[in-house]
Amino acid sequence: MYSTTLLRPKRLWCWSWVLFFVAGALLSGCGKDSPSGSEAVVLNQRLRAKIQTLDPADVGDTNTDGVCKEFFDTLYQYHYLKRPYEIIPLAAAQMPEISADGLTWRIAVRKDVYFHDDPCFAGGKGRNLKAADFLYAWKRVADIRTRSKNWYIFDGKIVGLDDFRQYTKSCPPEQVDYARRVDGLTAPDDHTIEIKLVRPWPQLIFWLAHVPTAPIAHEAVERYGPDIIKHPVGTGAFMLKQWHRGVYVEAVRNPNYYPAFYPTDGMPEDADAGLLADAGKRLPLIDRIIWRIMEEDQPRWLLLMKGDIDLNSIPKDNFAQAVGFGKELTPQMKRLGMRLTTVDEPCTFWVEMNMQDPLICSNKPLRYAIAHAIDRMRFIDLLWNGRGYPAYGFIPPAMKEYDESVKDGSHCVYDVNMACQYLKEAETLYGGKLPRFRLAMGGTDFIYKQMGQFLQRNLRDIGLDVQLEMFDWPTFLEKMTTGDLQLFFNGWMADYPDVESFLQIFYSKNAPWPNHGYYNNPQFDAIYEEVSIMPDCPERVDLYRQAEKIVIEDMPCAFTYHRIGYIIYHDWLNNLKPDGYKSDTIGYGYSKYYRIDSQKRDAYRKQLKHQDE
Amino acid sequence: MTAYLIRRLLYMVPIVIGVLLATFVLFKVVGGDISQQIAGKNADLETIAEVRHEYGFDKPLFAGLTPLAGDDWQAARQDYTAAIKNERQVRAESENRSVLPISAFDLDLKAQRKWLGDLFRQRLNAHQFGGALEMITLDSQFSDHFKHALTFNFGRALDREKISDKILLGVGPSLSLTIPMFIGTLVVSISMALLVAFLRGTVWDYTIVILCIIGLSIPYLSFIIFGQYFFAYKMDWFPIFYSPDKPMIHSIILPALIGIAAGLGGSLRFYRTVMLDEIRSDYVRTAFAKGLTTRKVLFKHVLKNAMIPIVTNVVLSIPFLVLGSLLLERFFGIPGIGYLMIEAINARDFFVLNALTFMMALLIAVFTLLTDICYAWVDPRVTFD
Repeated sequence: MYSTTLLRPKRLWCWSWVLFFVAGALLSGCGKDSPSGSEAVVLNQRLRAKIQTLDPADVGDTNTDGVCKEFFDTLYQYHYLKRPYEIIPLAAAQMPEISADGLTWRIAVRKDVYFHDDPCFAGGKGRNLKAADFLYAWKRVADIRTRSKNWYIFDGKIVGLDDFRQYTKSCPPEQVDYARRVDGLTAPDDHTIEIKLVRPWPQLIFWLAHVPTAPIAHEAVERYGPDIIKHPVGTGAFMLKQWHRGVYVEAVRNPNYYPAFYPTDGMPEDADAGLLADAGKRLPLIDRIIWRIMEEDQPRWLLLMKGDIDLNSIPKDNFAQAVGFGKELTPQMKRLGMRLTTVDEPCTFWVEMNMQDPLICSNKPLRYAIAHAIDRMRFIDLLWNGRGYPAYGFIPPAMKEYDESVKDGSHCVYDVNMACQYLKEAETLYGGKLPRFRLAMGGTDFIYKQMGQFLQRNLRDIGLDVQLEMFDWPTFLEKMTTGDLQLFFNGWMADYPDVESFLQIFYSKNAPWPNHGYYNNPQFDAIYEEVSIMPDCPERVDLYRQAEKIVIEDMPCAFTYHRIGYIIYHDWLNNLKPDGYKSDTIGYGYSKYYRIDSQKRDAYRKQLKHQDE
Repeated sequence: MTAYLIRRLLYMVPIVIGVLLATFVLFKVVGGDISQQIAGKNADLETIAEVRHEYGFDKPLFAGLTPLAGDDWQAARQDYTAAIKNERQVRAESENRSVLPISAFDLDLKAQRKWLGDLFRQRLNAHQFGGALEMITLDSQFSDHFKHALTFNFGRALDREKISDKILLGVGPSLSLTIPMFIGTLVVSISMALLVAFLRGTVWDYTIVILCIIGLSIPYLSFIIFGQYFFAYKMDWFPIFYSPDKPMIHSIILPALIGIAAGLGGSLRFYRTVMLDEIRSDYVRTAFAKGLTTRKVLFKHVLKNAMIPIVTNVVLSIPFLVLGSLLLERFFGIPGIGYLMIEAINARDFFVLNALTFMMALLIAVFTLLTDICYAWVDPRVTFD
């Protein structure tokens, strides 16, 4: 017999209520993570997805890149204000000295740069940055055991680095000798790097402004082992204070940051926009950054309205509330003191056609028909609230090589009659009615479904039978790589301000990545091989445009649109000038330029509270 | 009772094996190879091969072959590698496409597998059954899967953080949200169920039933979107989202209340039905006829006799508390297990999903056993025979 005294219904009932209150009381003690320094000037940021890692070698997505760059300074950076984009030194003392043949680069490293204070250093004090730290970081990217997502940057480009990678394959993990000589990577003295290239590589300068090439302290890697992902010991303007995965990241000002100053020159319009008000001031201008990770649009938007985050992109569902005609803020937003800035992003989206598919490969009229069938303007208006330009080729208007006359020779112009005409030709070539096609989308959320349905309807309107396939991104990626897709919605954002970044997508030797469509044209390949080693000059621009024309003639992709980034922010956030290559403005090393007027923010919050009452 | 417990614990062994097999088939066999995803979109074939090796994806699924002493792979390597290359070329030509690229590592692995297969067949044909049997190895992906689960060492997630750390970090916030939600829903719905059962057929009963149906018809997401907009943004009673500057309690009250409101319709209807079944019983009429007060009849007799379905519902719900609430956690930024699960699903992080599924299965098995034990506690007619 068991005692049931405690479980008698009436008592059980009392217990339930007691438990309810006990649970409530317990709650009050849980998870208090109050960061210190409430008086500090804080930038409240937001992220759409969680940070994967804080190891620069393993950065592989924009969110991670954006946050990591605040902790890790690279050798070079983009001038904050100047357009077109200009590379200037960051951890480097000056611009590189490049030999006449373009094969040897000599870079002087600043002598006054120190790593963040961290227990991995003797006495916990960050040590001086040396040239060897860069060589270590790059060898780490090459080390197969690191499984860096960024080996492609160096692959086949630096003398001896590929051999080093081969050597690491034969090494037991943790036993790679980073002191092993790599002929193309040497340090003649403590603060000079010498790089020897296999062939000229003018784009290297852009990669040296990219976070995977940032220096990392070997002491940190050795101390933290696999947990280095949580210890970003770099030389950036901010240091990690707290990181709660999937929830928030908190950074604080690096007290040992080298003397860096706000730029004193920019574009003519910058002075009027107030972007030179802080010229010459010591950086950073804020004390703390808090990134809150919010995957859903609603909380992000409500927090912006509440003044709890300082800036945000505009969610599709709130666009009408925020922006009126002519890319201007609505009166309601203006009353709230909001500001809007837009930036042309160097990206292009398209419907890609698998050139390994015999039907698509051998039928150019079919590809032309698909290109003519897409109503680009409606696509942009309906699905993206007008935030884009129609694409006629792959070079986006944000890049200086963009040619406005590209539209004249392009089949990427909406014309149903032309599309039907080409479709008839395609059917004649095929010898009958064309079979059903598969159109794949690399996402399963609502917007992908809407885009897919829109494109499907456009193609059906001209008489093409298209079946829509929705895949999550990893599956889509896998299928692209194995050539399993037939038609698929894809796109590309330039990694750096050089059209070469786009050309690589169509280079035959880059199949299946990034040439997912297995496009192959020897004429195009010859141009790519020529321009990829050519420094910036007018001839190179001509060759880029020629290459684009070849692709437009072959039409392996129906180019669809180029995106425009919209950022809405409160007027207490000063000095915001978005970079088209990083238009989500989540960081990327630019937070040090932002200035926050905390009093204005407090006043806004108080006023909001007052209105509620 | 001890015999009963031992018997039930032994029953759990095949259940655990079954769950392990099911999760293995789901995540490893059906889920496919995620090496490319782990290595990143720009990864070269060698890196992908390295990932495959590190995670053990290059091992056979259930069982494989291993060379015996004297079997010389180096001597056969060149021929077999050439054979594999040739096979791939022929297949590509027959499918009218170019040969898909393959890493040196994978090529070597495929060639070695082919060589081992040939050796095995040769031994079988030569009736060397002992040697053939000796070649079979159980060092496979399934044995690794089994080992990891039984030692609770689930390794690292795709983002290279320890899965056990992730789970431990997530359990607290999840329980902080789901326990008050669970108790709140239970207390309110049973109290109201008793009341409406007693007032059955009156306007109160009808009103509450209609409200329950409306509550059931409104999607969960609508409760969240409305609650967050109205109570957090418009009325400013609660924070919109978890803020690291404030204790978590502030961020949990509103989602917990939303959870209670959204779950009330279903629970209340269920418990009302249970109570009605009891309240119509003869013994209730007898109790009233004897002159017992309503309070005594309801709490002493009706509630006691309705305990079996309540206990079943309550105890079996407990394991799900650990899982948290996927949508609430996501909308309010609560770093719980629900959040972790959504992330894992989106990222196809089978390691995390596998760990959570296995833990969940174990919890359900344990709590099912507890439910059975509770039956005997609440109802003396139930025995452990």
